[in-house]
Amino acid sequence: MAPLQKRAWWGLAIGFVFAIAFVLVFILMGGIDTFDADQTFRIIIDVLWVGGLVANLIIVNLALRKPGMVDERDRMILDRAPRIQWIAVVFTLAAWVIALNEVYRSTDLIPAVYLYVMFMSVLIVSTLAQCLGILISYWRANRNG
Amino acid sequence: MARINNRIRRLRFDHDEMTQEELAQRAGCTRQTIIALEQGKYVPSIELAFRIARAFGVSLEEVFKYEEQKK
Repeated sequence: MAPLQKRAWWGLAIGFVFAIAFVLVFILMGGIDTFDADQTFRIIIDVLWVGGLVANLIIVNLALRKPGMVDERDRMILDRAPRIQWIAVVFTLAAWVIALNEVYRSTDLIPAVYLYVMFMSVLIVSTLAQCLGILISYWRANRNG
Repeated sequence: MARINNRIRRLRFDHDEMTQEELAQRAGCTRQTIIALEQGKYVPSIELAFRIARAFGVSLEEVFKYEEQKK
């Protein structure tokens, strides 16, 4: 397994753990209303998603700067990964837009706190999709060349 | 259609059964790239092709062969 591939597996695993922790804490601590009203809750959530992003940055991106970690084939695979990332982000945004539109259509008013939650969710999905994109690109490259 | 074949596996064995890892280190790439090259699943850049040829001490044409296939 290539070093980049290993990093992507680690990034995906750690990203999933952070994402699940994020969702669980969010639900168990009271959901969107508590998030909007309670600053401590917001700080806990902020620490979780920023922590997840920093961990991913260290595992996947910074480690790859070491000499000999990636070669030209790995870079080619890295260049393909954003396609998956882009699709994941677009579908996440579409899901948010449809859900919020349907839930708040009658009120014509979507709470501003959802902007924050949307941003966090898109960042988390983007980070996970980057790792997933790298793994899928490796799988395709090993299969088809 | 065209295809680029290589003799990397043959040349490794001709060079005291050089391991894929050793060749990768000499050529400045990962072992996975050498595996993909040997399986014909990756076509290297000109630069990497030269580095591989240099690792074996042979010319580029002795490692890589360009074959044009007529339909």
